Amino acid sequence: MIPLEYISFNHVYKSFGQTRVLDDFSFSVPAGKIICLIGPSGCGKTTILNLLTGLEQPDRGSISGTANLRISCVFQEPRLLPWKTVSENISFVLQDLTIPQQQELIDLYLKNMSLYEYRNSYPKHLSGGMKQRLAICRAFAFPHDLLLLDEPFKSLDVLLRMELVQQVAGMWGEHPRTIVFVTHDILDALLLGHFILVLSAKPTTTLDTLEINIPLGERDIAVEPFPAYYNHILTLLEGRASKSKRGQA
Amino acid sequence: MKNSSLKTKYVAPILGLVFFLAVWQFISGFYNPVIVPSPIETWRSFLTLAVSGLLWEHGRQTIVRGFAGFGLAVLAGTSLGFLIGLNRTAASLFQPLVVVLQVTPLISWLLLAMIWIGFTKVPLFIVFVTTLPLIITNTIQGIKNVDLQLLQMADVFRVDKIRIIREVYFPQVSPYLFAGLAAALGTTWKAVAMAELLSVNQGVGAGMAVARTNLETATLFAWTFFLIILGLLTDRLLSYLARQKLNQWM
Repeated sequence: MIPLEYISFNHVYKSFGQTRVLDDFSFSVPAGKIICLIGPSGCGKTTILNLLTGLEQPDRGSISGTANLRISCVFQEPRLLPWKTVSENISFVLQDLTIPQQQELIDLYLKNMSLYEYRNSYPKHLSGGMKQRLAICRAFAFPHDLLLLDEPFKSLDVLLRMELVQQVAGMWGEHPRTIVFVTHDILDALLLGHFILVLSAKPTTTLDTLEINIPLGERDIAVEPFPAYYNHILTLLEGRASKSKRGQA
Repeated sequence: MKNSSLKTKYVAPILGLVFFLAVWQFISGFYNPVIVPSPIETWRSFLTLAVSGLLWEHGRQTIVRGFAGFGLAVLAGTSLGFLIGLNRTAASLFQPLVVVLQVTPLISWLLLAMIWIGFTKVPLFIVFVTTLPLIITNTIQGIKNVDLQLLQMADVFRVDKIRIIREVYFPQVSPYLFAGLAAALGTTWKAVAMAELLSVNQGVGAGMAVARTNLETATLFAWTFFLIILGLLTDRLLSYLARQKLNQWM
């Protein structure tokens, strides 16, 4: 395990053409925790993840704490290889492990996500939810120090979503690693986040950073302080949205 | 529903063939057999070629040359296609040459090949140069249409480049490659026969040259049908292989 301390964005600027996505954007969060990024649609959350993975480079500023990290990711879309079976889709990213090690991890995560009986099926035979679960299995099975989750539950129904939130919490409980979780659902953030960064619309700034010290398995969102957190985040997001509407008017 | 698909699959093509043979028989009645031999005369010539062993003797040469040229073009075309599709410098370097290959008249290649490599290898060479650009361009087209999101995924998970080419690019290029192979295979039998006609004395093309000299039009027709059957069989075989390969996941 690589010793980590903080993952930081230091005065990062990023534009796509004329659109300024990040404008002097900074944050710093401790490693080994679940960090939720919550904000309105299209606020640049995915850009932040792409900068963390190295798929995008900042125009100015720097990102520290991610060098030499093994990064795993669940994208908004499952991004599965249609010509590979469920098992093969996971083993595709496990090239550094021996075959028995791969098989052990594949079986473990497929059983956790109730996909084991589909291990020899092709993705075309899976439902949307099952494909997303497979993408989560792949990301968890890949040996990583940093896991990025880009709205992974977006296309799933409420029950499955709650189940997956619990599974992610359970997996983190077994192997605590840094997770950066992008969502626009306040409940998901409250259930999973040790730190919640509330982001504004473009160009993205941090409106607030909440730290929740209650262990993941003991969180009841109907009980304080969660309703208060919920209202606070909602107020921040709504306030920003109405300001932005007034600005447009 | 079942009946209608059966009709579309088997009955309609047979009816089409019967209609074609009837029209051919009808037209041949108006002409001397040297100009238009009838289907029956053509069939007799075909049988004569088969019984005499000429069909197999010439046919074998053509099949070997065709497949050898085609096989070399597949190897070289796929490799060059990947190189051009994945590397900008290689694209700048080789893409104009691919266009040159495409637009150079076949007769120029034929004559040059006779001078450069001797008569016996001309058919193989001609198949190679005529099919190579088809395979290269289809491979490049496939690479251009590769799903970028899958490449990003492989990149994030640090999958090595060779594996990405083999397991991400290649399956996505396959449908385009199969389309290129089908077009190339269609060209193969036409090109090999033409090259044989002008350069060697063995092979279907050479058999056609003899038939032409002797004004044996029915034999010429028989050789032509041999090439058509060869083309159809190899095309069906390729379609079967493509289905086996792609249907599992597409």
